[in-house]
Amino acid sequence: MMKKWLLAGAMVVAASGVFAAGDPIAERKEILKGFGDLTKPNGAALKGEAAFDLAKAQAALKAYSAGSKKLVTLFPDNSKTGGKTEALPSIWQNKAKFDGIYAKLDKDATDALAAIKDEASFKANFGKVLGNCKACHDDFREKK
Amino acid sequence: MREQSGDNGKVLAWDFPTRAFKWTLAALVVSAWASNKFGGGTPNWHKWTGYAILVLIVFRLLWGFVGGSTARFVNFVRGPGAALSYGLALLQGRTPKYLGHNPLGGAMVMAILAALAAQGALGLYAGDADRLIIDGPLARTVSDEAVTFAARWHHRVFDLLKILIVLHVAANLYYAFVKREPLIKGMATGYKPSDTYVDAPAARAGSPMAAAACLIAAIVIVFGGILALGGRIAI
Repeated sequence: MMKKWLLAGAMVVAASGVFAAGDPIAERKEILKGFGDLTKPNGAALKGEAAFDLAKAQAALKAYSAGSKKLVTLFPDNSKTGGKTEALPSIWQNKAKFDGIYAKLDKDATDALAAIKDEASFKANFGKVLGNCKACHDDFREKK
Repeated sequence: MREQSGDNGKVLAWDFPTRAFKWTLAALVVSAWASNKFGGGTPNWHKWTGYAILVLIVFRLLWGFVGGSTARFVNFVRGPGAALSYGLALLQGRTPKYLGHNPLGGAMVMAILAALAAQGALGLYAGDADRLIIDGPLARTVSDEAVTFAARWHHRVFDLLKILIVLHVAANLYYAFVKREPLIKGMATGYKPSDTYVDAPAARAGSPMAAAACLIAAIVIVFGGILALGGRIAI
């Protein structure tokens, strides 16, 4: 059963990788979706609704750093519309500010990865990283 | 208690609990805005500001029945007709002087209280699109659609609040600097120059014990209400 799931998972990843290649909108959505999935258990731990898990915190922080380095390249001028993107035109009107948030996310995640050793340091440092999510969503993501 | 007209020609207009409520609420509204603007990494700052605002609103509703004379709704809440005719008199520069809230100011007080109550209640159910960055304590009790709805209206009511606050501050600056009526100073010190006020010559202060009781009741109502509705409050 486990093997079957792993295989299915690998196929989904491979398929989406093929699909996403050369499609910046699909590619960035996939990375950001991955951010969300990895953030979920950490958000719950911050609120005290789930147990703190160092491995999950580290996995998320590593993904934020690696992902933000890729994400800055995934908003080219020809990707303003299509693919049900929630990206606002303000991204391309304030590209330097927008890119700056990803640079800060990368740096804050790297710093937090070094600083977080236990639950206390997690609670003290993880929120600052998530502040970058809000900063970007406030200005650059379509509101529902 | 007209004897509170002091020797120095000043009369009590606002008792201490009413003034403490007013300025604390103003500071908390600034904190609510600042915590959203600058506190993306510390959602509890925004959430506890919201809880505190809700407590103060409930306090003020209770205080409006048992508080000092100028804080009581029965003494300053007037119909739209009274507010309108006062507004017209204001435009002509011939307004009667009020010790407490004038009819138009009273309407503004109620509008701001209602908007803040709505804003705080919406915040309890609001959250970001993914429920990852911030969500109110009751967001977990409702559907994603309800959270999205609450978040949208949390933004819209904030736009309304900005308009109300600008009008409120502008009106008070107008009274202070154009009409030369020390309304702001009165709300800061509690005292106004004795004059021929049309509503009352001097205010009667509310009891400090009653104020404490209202505050405790407000805390119990807000936090007890959140918990009773299935919310969790993180410290």
